[in-house]
Amino acid sequence: MTGKSGAAQTVAAVLTGAIGIVFLLPLVFTILVSIRPENEPVTQGSIFFGSEITLSLYQHALNIAPWGLHYLNSIIFVGGTLLVQLFTVTCAAYAFARLRFWGRNLLLLVILLQLMIPSGVLLVQNFRMINLLGLFDTRLALMLPYWGSAFGMLLLRQAFREVPIELDEAARIDGANLLQVIRHVYVVNAIPAYVAFALVSLSSHWNEFLWPFIITRSEAIRPLTVGLNKLIKTTDQGAFYGQLMAGTIIVITPLVILFLLFQRQFVESFARSGIR
Amino acid sequence: MTALCKRTLSLCLLLSLFIGAAYAQDDIVIDFYFPSATANDAEGIFQRYADMFEEENPGISINPVFTGSYTDTRNTILTELQGGGAGPDVAVMLSIDLYSFAEEGYIVPAQTFIDGMQDGDAYVSDFFPALMRNGVDEDGNVWAIPFQRSTPILYYNADLLAEAGYDSPPTNNAELVEIAQALTTDDRHGLLVPVAGGFPIWMYQSFAIAFGHNIVDDDPTAVYFNTPEAVAAVEFVRSLGTDLGVGPAGGAAWGDTPVAFLAGQAAMIYHTTGNLTRILGGADFEVGVWYLPSGPAGEDGTGYGSPTGGGNLYIFDDGSKSQSELDAIWKWVTFLSSPAIQADWGATTGYIAANASAWQTEPLASLSMEHPQYLIARDQLQHAGKEFSSYATITIQGIINGTLESILTGESADAQAALDAAQAQIDGILADYR
Amino acid sequence: MIAKVWRARLIARLLPYLLIAPTFVLVLMFTVLPAFNTVNDSFYKPARGLNAAGKSPQFVHLQNFVDILDDSHYMGQRFLRSFRNTLIFALATVFVAVPLGLLLALLLNRPQRLLGIWRFAVFYPALLPLIGAASIWSFIFSDSIGLANAVLRSFGHPGLNWLGDRNLVLLSVIIVNIWKQAGYFMIFFLAGLQNIARELYEAAALDGADRFQQFMGLTLPLLRRTLLFVSVISFTFAFQTVEQLQALGEGGPADSANLLLYLIFQNIAERRNWGYVNAMTLVLIAVVLVFTLGNFLLFERSESER
Repeated sequence: MTGKSGAAQTVAAVLTGAIGIVFLLPLVFTILVSIRPENEPVTQGSIFFGSEITLSLYQHALNIAPWGLHYLNSIIFVGGTLLVQLFTVTCAAYAFARLRFWGRNLLLLVILLQLMIPSGVLLVQNFRMINLLGLFDTRLALMLPYWGSAFGMLLLRQAFREVPIELDEAARIDGANLLQVIRHVYVVNAIPAYVAFALVSLSSHWNEFLWPFIITRSEAIRPLTVGLNKLIKTTDQGAFYGQLMAGTIIVITPLVILFLLFQRQFVESFARSGIR
Repeated sequence: MTALCKRTLSLCLLLSLFIGAAYAQDDIVIDFYFPSATANDAEGIFQRYADMFEEENPGISINPVFTGSYTDTRNTILTELQGGGAGPDVAVMLSIDLYSFAEEGYIVPAQTFIDGMQDGDAYVSDFFPALMRNGVDEDGNVWAIPFQRSTPILYYNADLLAEAGYDSPPTNNAELVEIAQALTTDDRHGLLVPVAGGFPIWMYQSFAIAFGHNIVDDDPTAVYFNTPEAVAAVEFVRSLGTDLGVGPAGGAAWGDTPVAFLAGQAAMIYHTTGNLTRILGGADFEVGVWYLPSGPAGEDGTGYGSPTGGGNLYIFDDGSKSQSELDAIWKWVTFLSSPAIQADWGATTGYIAANASAWQTEPLASLSMEHPQYLIARDQLQHAGKEFSSYATITIQGIINGTLESILTGESADAQAALDAAQAQIDGILADYR
Repeated sequence: MIAKVWRARLIARLLPYLLIAPTFVLVLMFTVLPAFNTVNDSFYKPARGLNAAGKSPQFVHLQNFVDILDDSHYMGQRFLRSFRNTLIFALATVFVAVPLGLLLALLLNRPQRLLGIWRFAVFYPALLPLIGAASIWSFIFSDSIGLANAVLRSFGHPGLNWLGDRNLVLLSVIIVNIWKQAGYFMIFFLAGLQNIARELYEAAALDGADRFQQFMGLTLPLLRRTLLFVSVISFTFAFQTVEQLQALGEGGPADSANLLLYLIFQNIAERRNWGYVNAMTLVLIAVVLVFTLGNFLLFERSESER
């Protein structure tokens, strides 16, 4: 290593550390505040620790909502959405990538409308549709509008088109039926696109609040975001930041553990998947 | 009940026939929506009330549904009903939302039920008159029943005041400013008035009343937002953060205010009586409570002012509910507004128990003996004015809040001009109703 | 025999339609039909005044659009502000969070000490539901008892009213968004980077290219598709994800930090404003449409330039 690149290494290391610490600060203080007594804000006494370390806020936060249930609901919501999406998207992408049929471009255009009109924008109208179907306050209502995804379809169509047509033909000559061709030729060769789509889908639905909030009433099916809303809104009595922080820690912990355990595999699988 | 059937129907048409039949013989289910106005585990408390009620009334079951903040709850209800959904049977919503619901024909007046009661007059007259003002229309019909009601009051840190040589709280605006300035230090606000955070109208109204002219009266088509008093009031509130420097410019945030007070970072705050229990329980200093200081209103220049606030019980029916359902609903409403429940609810949360007899009922009776602060909150009601409410309430309230915020944050320097512009917009909207 | 052939043909004919049917029907139900209704409703004003609930709306041509573009109209004020904020918010996301994600990927793509910790540090915000992330920041930004001001005050600064000062709120919301998204975007870049063959860099180094030249000449062109992809999703996300406002000031004071979709959400409940809500939705759709199309054209051009 030359001296110059050594200096560059140092700069990079310092920069990494600085950004990392800034990004970590909110988490560190979330933890610190969650173990401080409620009436001792960080502006009072030591900024790091209160007069004692207490877990009582966790007890309060645990009582506010059935977090386990909300967790499960969120997982069912994002997982169920993604699973069906993968199916519908694959079918449609294959048709548009490789089949010729009457009205193809028109149909494609109609589907692409969804890309330009994000469903979040159509809250009210979609609420009416769900109500018309009699699905209000059901798990199905949460997921149904997302089961068709123009974004995923487009992403996969692009990936499918890059699969050499010879592979398709060879598989058919070997006697593979349509399903087998899709599975063994197209899906396998489009893994990166699938991963990218999954990441976007999971993340956007995991974050989603407005739609679940409007379309559900029962605790039994409401996702995590709606549960968190409970911590935030304590209208008459002001903010309970300690409790809020304890609740946030409760929510984040399982994910953090999972991430820490599988961090290496997680990043490497992306690398292997070769999303571009 | 019907909602439940509908849902089932959509899932499986055939099966629903059997299920529907099975449910038909079952309990009357009352969907009860409530906002999270209290941090003291409202859901737990309501579940307890529901259990008590169900025990007394076999055949009726209560389904309490938590629906977020007041705003969230209102939006939830309106979206549901406008989208063709079933909506709640009973809901706790802001007392000022009467016209938002009545205009649309979503609620029915409580008056029809009261008329059917043997002792209807006694039931109504037990409520404090100030708390009924927002639940009655211009013809005197009762629409909504008081439940979690409050007013803004002055909380002060008696230890800090004593240190600075003040033995008693400020009783008028001049004293308020004087004490607030004396108690302001580098890391402590003298006075926090929570006008930031989307809902300045409530606190502002108390100043408007104290300056001599409420922004509303009993006529739901009238709003008085650009009177000299209204201008003076907003300029006074603004000066607290700017010229006088006793609080942050732009005003304090609603949620932060009690926290800062408890932490000793604010010597005095304006806040809701709904916070009394939390503040008394959380403070490690002597908490004083007093009427909001008076403004220059009235002949003697000592106009006390405070609007009422908080939530009423509304009964939802589009005409499709059966008499037995309505009877069950009314039973639940009278249960929640009974002296026993009001005494319990008031003691647990700090909301003003809405009926006079609740104050002779335990646990509130002994609690208010022990902590006279609760009585101050109650007694201020005799000076309370009507809280803002009109036709097109939500939109007009939005205009008022936006205008106040733009004045308080310094965006609109000319308060009179801003209020005039807002009044013109408001009059334009209310023209539809005149 | 002939029947069999016919059947096979029929199936082959129908197959494409069957394959796209689920997607197509769902798009029809939850995009096309609602969008059509939105367009239609945006030309109507709901009946207002007493006993209006049962009356039918009134056709008003473009009046709703005129109103929301009128600064002296109550909805116009709100709309114009939110519109401006949304553009600023989206641009800030694209031009700060995306490059920051790229920078993070470059920094964290090399073996180093504490790599796991740093990767965690920048990625955990992405794991939090947006509303939870925002609630953490509502504490940080709290005026009298928040962390940011505690730090500022320890340096002798009187502190800032992060969520109360109209000039700061939008900035606060943007900061949260950048913190939340940068690590998420990083993952895409990281994956892209790891697919660039090491040999390419070695060859470049042999040719005497320094790190900066390697980045400009090698990394950036090879990451172009990732960059475009991330920019597109970050941009559309910026228009759609407004959940943080629920915990961070609800768009106030006086809409100084409101975003378009949240403004729509705030107004959907009230029937009298339905015409406006639909008109605003249409404008939002139009903006997203223009940007999506723009991105496509850009994408196509850069593809053909290759």
